[in-house]
Amino acid sequence: MIEFIDIHKSFGPKHVLRGVSLTVEQGQVLYLVGSSGAGKSVLVKHLVGLLRPDSGRIVLDGRDITWLSEAEFYPVRKKCAMVFQNSTLFDSMTVLDNVALPYRKHHRLDRAEASRRALEKLALVDMEHAARRFPGDLGDGLRKRVAIARALTLDPEFVIFDEPTTGLDPVAAANVDQLIRSLRNDTGVTAIVVSHDLRSIFTVADRIAMIYEGHIRLDGTPEDFRRSADPVVSQFIHGRPDGPMKI
Amino acid sequence: MRNVLVGPVSVVGRASMGLMATLGGATMLLGRILRALLPPRFDRDEAWRQLYAVGVKSSAIVMVTALFVGAIMVIQTAFYVQRTGATSLLGFGVGFTVFAEIGPILIGLMFSGRVGANNTAELGTMVVTEQVDALRALAIDPIGYLVVPRFIAMIVMMLMLMALGDVFAIIGAALTADTLVGVDPSVLIGDILDSHLLDEYLLGLGKAFCFGVSISVLSCWYGLGVRGGATGVGRAVNNSVVANAAAIFFIDFVMGWIFPVGL
Amino acid sequence: MNAALERGFRAVGAPLVAVGSHAFGIYSVFAQVVMALLKGAVRWREVVRQSYLIGNRSLFFITVTLGFLGLISVYQVASQIQRILPDFTMMGPAFIQLMWREFAPTITGLMIATRVGSGIAAEIGSMVVTEQVDALRMCNADPVRYLIVPRTIASTVMVMMLTIYAVFIATIAGMVLADVVFNVSPSTFVSLSMVSGQDVVLGLVKALSFGFWIPIVAGQAGLSASGGSAGVGWATTRAVVASSFAVILLDFIISGIGYTVFDL
Repeated sequence: MIEFIDIHKSFGPKHVLRGVSLTVEQGQVLYLVGSSGAGKSVLVKHLVGLLRPDSGRIVLDGRDITWLSEAEFYPVRKKCAMVFQNSTLFDSMTVLDNVALPYRKHHRLDRAEASRRALEKLALVDMEHAARRFPGDLGDGLRKRVAIARALTLDPEFVIFDEPTTGLDPVAAANVDQLIRSLRNDTGVTAIVVSHDLRSIFTVADRIAMIYEGHIRLDGTPEDFRRSADPVVSQFIHGRPDGPMKI
Repeated sequence: MRNVLVGPVSVVGRASMGLMATLGGATMLLGRILRALLPPRFDRDEAWRQLYAVGVKSSAIVMVTALFVGAIMVIQTAFYVQRTGATSLLGFGVGFTVFAEIGPILIGLMFSGRVGANNTAELGTMVVTEQVDALRALAIDPIGYLVVPRFIAMIVMMLMLMALGDVFAIIGAALTADTLVGVDPSVLIGDILDSHLLDEYLLGLGKAFCFGVSISVLSCWYGLGVRGGATGVGRAVNNSVVANAAAIFFIDFVMGWIFPVGL
Repeated sequence: MNAALERGFRAVGAPLVAVGSHAFGIYSVFAQVVMALLKGAVRWREVVRQSYLIGNRSLFFITVTLGFLGLISVYQVASQIQRILPDFTMMGPAFIQLMWREFAPTITGLMIATRVGSGIAAEIGSMVVTEQVDALRMCNADPVRYLIVPRTIASTVMVMMLTIYAVFIATIAGMVLADVVFNVSPSTFVSLSMVSGQDVVLGLVKALSFGFWIPIVAGQAGLSASGGSAGVGWATTRAVVASSFAVILLDFIISGIGYTVFDL
């Protein structure tokens, strides 16, 4: 279980998070939604120590991880994997080497064994055919799949997806949605998905939390969102150009 | 009037503040590198790959530069030797400047331009495309994985290229002596070998070692500190080569002062 | 056998082709710069601004590098003289002459190639990958004339100025060291007795050609940037290497011609 407790974070004069509290239960697909620049990605980067809060606490399975040192964060990162928005594959390595790297570094496996296990993970996302290619030669959708395979190498309990479908064509986006869904069903990982893609929000999410003006505006099931009388929420989920939302 | 007085002071002040920030940051990075080396905790495969990459990138340009350095030094020395009639000093003059002074400076500058700049650009690109964050998110230490292998590769390659560059400089000197100055190459090379320049040669290698340390640490520091997209990467490379050039002249001075060589 | 032969040819040929196309690119920018200069289409306001950026902003850097160079060369030479013939009267004049002929222009050229060359490539390269250069073309502004010509004029003038400044700084540094460490009085050290008009001309010709070529070589590297931040980084690296190498090559050519033809 992950708890964010009253997180504040500013970048210069911009007060992005103004007291966000959120609890993520095991085994869910939680969608974190909100308009661009609302601080969704900022919030999840706190969980893996890429950002530190100005105030507030982050508790992972009952342990306060807010102020761990960089080295102490490594075990946390093995538990909470992250798939970055731009996939961030290492472009000097082949797809296979990208996925094998965590095996070599953390399990001290030799190259052959690491490659064998990496191929298994690639098979999980139907990418074993591209193992020898370089990330630069693949389309965005396929790169995203490889990034997901790489995040799964450490058998994490939580996987953070930062805007997994942004910039993908509709078919590739639907593919990634399906992949997130089947991961939850097959491996039981908890997924935290940062997104503003309305279509995937309502097809995949078990639970949705909306960030607006630095606070959680609404936290509930997709059904709660559809029924919500809050004008901001309803403007967002119906994608209306005018309404009370400040842009 | 006020501007005339305050202007230079504020320029010097700002430059010194920048210098202090760079020195402090780079020293801390060096400390982290050394801590990762004792006991050795770094990626061997990546170290081999970097050795190969650094060697491939820099050997051609260093050798061609060395050829010309030897050639230029022969022309300049010949000018003085002709005027003073001390023909026997041609070999010593060329050997001394090439091994101990101008050779290390120019080869160091070329190495910094090719390998140091490239390293800053590579790491900077990895930072702005979040590849360094991705490493951290995979619980892999960027120092051990990215920086230490580059540190080792640059020191080793700088030493090897300096040793090799000296040979090419002598070849360049011999060719020019033959064609432009009218001195037989075998005479020049014999003179150089007879001048007992082992100390100068070793001083050059010592400088190369220090250049390797400073180029790798500074270029990694500037690369990892990149902010703000393509413009940021370009600016970081710019700053990195400037800092490295200043460091090369400073190290050259300090080494020459501590280890006096010559007759 | 054939495959090995082909690989061998490739290994030799690929760098040659790369160097060839690179040289052709530089030549084409050079030709465009010359055409623009002949037509007199120069943005003088921009020339002044670039002169400030290239010249004044490099003063600190040149002071540091040439200062150390002056210190160490006088130290090295004086230590030798002290051991053979303790007569320092010729040291200062010869030092100043050698600075004029060789080291002030060459080292200043290399420093400007490093600082300004990489700066030009970084700036123009960023404009290329963010499509600002295409935007210039859409406004019928020729990027070479708009961006590179002002920098070429500014750097030609400024490298000559900085070379004179470099002689000055290295002499001051050398003079102080000679006075403090070897007891050579400044009046003995600073003497232009050995510096002939020819030495000054040789030094300034070197400075002029370095200053002229650095923005062309670096600008061409910037204009050929492609593909995001990696492309800008690569273009900047290439600019540093190519413009530094251009300085060394030009130094060799001018010194060689000076020595053989004019007995300089």
